Amino acid sequence: MILKTNPGTSVQDHGRIGLGHWGIPIAGVMDQRSYAWINHLLKNKRNDAILEILQPGFKCRFDSYITIGLSGAKAEIWKNDKLTSSTLIKIIPGDELEIGKFLFGNIVYMGIAQGFQTAVILSSRSNYPKITTTGMLSSGDKIPFFTNQSHTEETFASVRLKTAWLEEITLEVYPGSDFEALSANNKTQVVNSKFTISTLANRMAFQLEELLPNSIPERLTAPVFPGTVQLTSGGKLLILMRDAQVTGGYPRVLQLTDNSLSVLAQKRPGQQIRFQLKSIKIG
Amino acid sequence: MKPNLRQIGPYLIELYWHEEPTDSLLQHILSWELAIASQFGAEVLEIRKGFQTLTCMLRSDLNSDSQRRWEVLLQCNIKVLSLSEKIWKIPVCYDQKVGKDLNALSKSKSISIEEIINLHTVPTYRIHFFGFLPGFMYLNGLDPALHFPRKNIPDRKIDSGSVAIGGPQTGIYPNESPGGWHVIGKTPTILFDQNENLPVFAKPGEQIKFLSISLEEFHHISDDSKPSKSDD
Repeated sequence: MILKTNPGTSVQDHGRIGLGHWGIPIAGVMDQRSYAWINHLLKNKRNDAILEILQPGFKCRFDSYITIGLSGAKAEIWKNDKLTSSTLIKIIPGDELEIGKFLFGNIVYMGIAQGFQTAVILSSRSNYPKITTTGMLSSGDKIPFFTNQSHTEETFASVRLKTAWLEEITLEVYPGSDFEALSANNKTQVVNSKFTISTLANRMAFQLEELLPNSIPERLTAPVFPGTVQLTSGGKLLILMRDAQVTGGYPRVLQLTDNSLSVLAQKRPGQQIRFQLKSIKIG
Repeated sequence: MKPNLRQIGPYLIELYWHEEPTDSLLQHILSWELAIASQFGAEVLEIRKGFQTLTCMLRSDLNSDSQRRWEVLLQCNIKVLSLSEKIWKIPVCYDQKVGKDLNALSKSKSISIEEIINLHTVPTYRIHFFGFLPGFMYLNGLDPALHFPRKNIPDRKIDSGSVAIGGPQTGIYPNESPGGWHVIGKTPTILFDQNENLPVFAKPGEQIKFLSISLEEFHHISDDSKPSKSDD
């Protein structure tokens, strides 16, 4: 049960893939890399649902034996008011877990053995407004999972989470559908400048602070995907994230690689990134 | 009306056209969608459409073999199918109580409310694709007399079922959402039901016609009303 949480906690899995033709966003985990890692450590299925926690101050209590795992941002983790540094944690009934200060990174993931078991709606458990009952979780919510009767005797090998990639500031991008419509000057600016993540950063999109004045006209509505970088007529760059709409009218100038989308998801407002253009290699 | 091909990253491939969005372009887009589905089937995870684009998300990264197969397909003369004759009739209450921007629109455009209702209910609108919100239909066919720029500052909350005008387009908000369109009415019809296997009732290529109903009728029509459909 969630005892307290700030806005931005949700159940997420691989998302709703294949339903874009009805206007349904993919949603799903923002940082796919940390998601894959924690489900791997828990010996879960790749698509098992986890909790995505965007802000410190999350606290929950467990009512049964279970193994949980934490990945993503590095944060102070308190188990029954004691600081712990474990990646995998054995829980017994009554245990309380609190996520304190984020030391670096933007999102903490809590995985659980066999995944969280909220209702599957349109092929996914991912919270999304008007598709699942709630768009976000709040205090008092109970999130179902399969309980163990007790823990097995196996001990966890101590796993050291490699976090160097969280500090990467270069995002690899492919030229988007409208890249060629950019002026030569715009193209140089986009790859040679550093950009700052603005405070307008959420599960739908990360907006960048620096403007890219341009003269590309608005387009007729066209498909967009997580990782699509849109450029508004006012020069704002918007990087679309997992909850983004399936179509948009702004020119689509870049497309992030999947790995860069995970890297970006872990960035906080005020942090800087730069784009590195990648050409498509056909294997 | 041959499509052009571009690749956006290793697993996104896009067909695009320069022609203006018309029934004829839509016919081509839908026919190409079908051709891709039959040619590539399970290799394509998702196909999304826009007014001039068809974007495919592939299950795995494109390789030289699959790239060649896409190029070959693009060279084919596919069979262009005709559009469906199906027309969905959507009841809309154009009362100022539910169409909160109706009066302002009437004043700005110097068109009487009766004439707005008339101009909005006469055409049949073609569904081009779904986007923006789950179950939101992009419709073509709004009378140019009703074209009106979107609001500079979007409204924080537009009710589910609101029928609105934004630029050269008209549409129905399937769910409550922020939005910058001018609300001229409201339908009691449910446009998106996430608990159904088929959460929407209509398909791209089919048509929509709005039927004006009174506020009384609006309140009488039960919430679970399904739209009526003309015979094919």
